[in-house]
Amino acid sequence: MAIATRGTASNYLQRAPSPSGLADVLDVILDKGLVIDAYIRVSVIGIEVLTIDARIVIASVDTYLRFAEAVNRLDLAQTEVAGLKELREGGDGSKRKTEGVIEGAKEKMTPGGDREKEKAS
Amino acid sequence: MHESAPVYVYGVVASGARVSAPTEGVAGAPTRLIESNGLAAVASSVPAEQLRVRRRDLHAHLRTLEQLFEQTTVLPCSFGTVLDSEEDVRAHLLDARAEELHALLDRLTGRAQLNVKASYDEDAVLREVVASQPEVARARERVRALGNAAYYENIRLGELVAGTLAARQADDAERIHARLASVAAEAVPEPVDPGGLLVLKTAYLVARRQLDRFDAELESLAAGEAPAILFESFGPLPPTAFVSLRQEG
Repeated sequence: MAIATRGTASNYLQRAPSPSGLADVLDVILDKGLVIDAYIRVSVIGIEVLTIDARIVIASVDTYLRFAEAVNRLDLAQTEVAGLKELREGGDGSKRKTEGVIEGAKEKMTPGGDREKEKAS
Repeated sequence: MHESAPVYVYGVVASGARVSAPTEGVAGAPTRLIESNGLAAVASSVPAEQLRVRRRDLHAHLRTLEQLFEQTTVLPCSFGTVLDSEEDVRAHLLDARAEELHALLDRLTGRAQLNVKASYDEDAVLREVVASQPEVARARERVRALGNAAYYENIRLGELVAGTLAARQADDAERIHARLASVAAEAVPEPVDPGGLLVLKTAYLVARRQLDRFDAELESLAAGEAPAILFESFGPLPPTAFVSLRQEG
């Protein structure tokens, strides 16, 4: 298949035949595919994959502050660098909470351990 | 000899399909076929005691499906599908669902899944938002003039930005989907948070002979949407998003 082997040099389109990152692999195989009724839920002995849906309420003050910070960070005219710095320093500590969450990315983990532990296996 | 031991099931293929199943599946066990009704479940033994899932097991599941998919049509099972015995695989899956499974095999033959994700490049899209919305540009100036005193103005600015993004998101997603759907047979979209950076996350089912066309469409679409929207795609994958069984009443 031509599509599987063709690489993409552009930064606007990343193509891969198969996912390799944990989140992307889970996206393809978890909660997708044949599910054999309630029977399976009983039979999945010890294979219980926790899904931590890290999505947060998006219309929150934290999110607005984050966007405001990002808009201010934009170097539109290459000026006002001092004002930018001030804003950052005076900024809210809460913005970190929403970082990486806004894209609605699902954080999924396997039971009994965190990602770091899983990496070792 | 495996009759009463629990089995992990990866997926279902038509029996008689010439498949060489991978030698190492979940928990390192070799895969084998369990057949009935013209269908074959690809399975491997799992220990009867508690099985702790490891990262490599996730990869083993996907790798097994991909290997089967290269050789024939496969109906993937969800990760973590374990039945009590080979007998149960026949009774609860291959026999009980024979008709549905054969219909699914027919529907998915010659087709592949492409997972496409489109998201805003934060800086690029925010530049466009500021440039296109005078209200946002004005709010931004106010905030910059006020410096540290701008807490509420900051919230207002962020709210304006999120609102503009949310309004734009739906249009962008629709435009992108229309282009890709034109070269796909079916699509399963995932929900997207309004006002966030993710624009579209959809699995497309594409005829194998259309894969090049889909790829060309994706390439030209992505080139046209740059730099505000970035694309990611995986595939061709086994059709995990396009198989489901009726829930038993």
